[in-house]
Amino acid sequence: MARPTNTTGKKKNTVRNASTRPTGFYYVLGAIAIVGASILAYSMMRKPSEVVVTQAVAPTGPIGPAEGYLIGKADAPVKIIEFADFECPGCGNFANVTEPDVRKRLIETGLANLTYYDFPLPQHKNSEAASNAAACANDQGKFWEMHDMIFANQDQWNTEATDNPKPFFAKYAERLGLNTGTWETCFDTRKHQGRIMANAAEGEKRKVNSTPTFIIGDKMYAQGMTYDAMKAIVDSATKK
Amino acid sequence: MTKRMIVAMLALAGIFVALYLLLYKLGMIGHLSCNIGSCETVNTSKWARLMGIPVAGWGVAFYLAMFALAVVSTTERYADSAGMSKLLVFASGTGVLFSVWLTYLELFTIHAICEWCVTSAVIVTVIFLVTVADLRNKTADPDESAV
Repeated sequence: MARPTNTTGKKKNTVRNASTRPTGFYYVLGAIAIVGASILAYSMMRKPSEVVVTQAVAPTGPIGPAEGYLIGKADAPVKIIEFADFECPGCGNFANVTEPDVRKRLIETGLANLTYYDFPLPQHKNSEAASNAAACANDQGKFWEMHDMIFANQDQWNTEATDNPKPFFAKYAERLGLNTGTWETCFDTRKHQGRIMANAAEGEKRKVNSTPTFIIGDKMYAQGMTYDAMKAIVDSATKK
Repeated sequence: MTKRMIVAMLALAGIFVALYLLLYKLGMIGHLSCNIGSCETVNTSKWARLMGIPVAGWGVAFYLAMFALAVVSTTERYADSAGMSKLLVFASGTGVLFSVWLTYLELFTIHAICEWCVTSAVIVTVIFLVTVADLRNKTADPDESAV
């Protein structure tokens, strides 16, 4: 069908451009969409594939002057070491979602134990205070209770929420039935700062550069993981 | 190929960049681990949200709008519209200003640069430059639409 606008020079030009649009233009848009969607899908699918072994490290064992917090039987056949930052959402995700299963099915059953090492990241300004709060709770035998409470309430006291996290930790200490006076003195004097720094230094020595990082057997896994992934690793370490 | 088509292509690429950052923010991409990497620092900082919505979400919305506008502007009805060119310049200019503010925060407040955010800033800047060129063409010669 003839188009009236085609009869003049300039209009003809415009119509020609419009009529060629679907072929080239939409093909290019389609190509961009396919490439973009593929990259996104690939990135999303990589997550469940889980564990990336970044490097082999020395077998687990006593770590220099650093001193982690152990949960489980000291002589459990598999030893899981965790380097974590209390303010890291990934660590919080592991602590809140995965760890209850790990404790119930791997640690309480005696298959493995877990030792937590502080690795406060510089961008998380309240993380060191959280490590101190937990270390002071440890003095009264409640490190893991405080650990759980700190992670469960990460959104209340993190750098994004407040510049002064102490009142939150004090509230948790009270809720856990700690002697709050003793806890507060310990926290204010940063009694365990040396231990926390030693733990972080140990992580740096082992080339930890993200949290959470797990060392299980002679392998290091620099990312959070699901219960199933951790169970598979523990199983394979048990067989060795 | 017209300048507006180029804008549409860039905006479509921008949608995916912003979508990547949004999915990362929502924990659906990446390990959710706190890598010391700068994107993690930027995307978990308190400036990663604006009015309760992740900044990356605003980015997705912006690129979607930009894309829709650019595609509509290539249709026969609007192909010669200088008003549409002005709208494209205004929209992309808003995006550039927002990106400048975000880049300023990265450099001077968060002290970390996220390469995906920089990619987005480059895309929006190129979009802006192309829309300005498109507007100049349209005001100089209303029928000029080819590159």
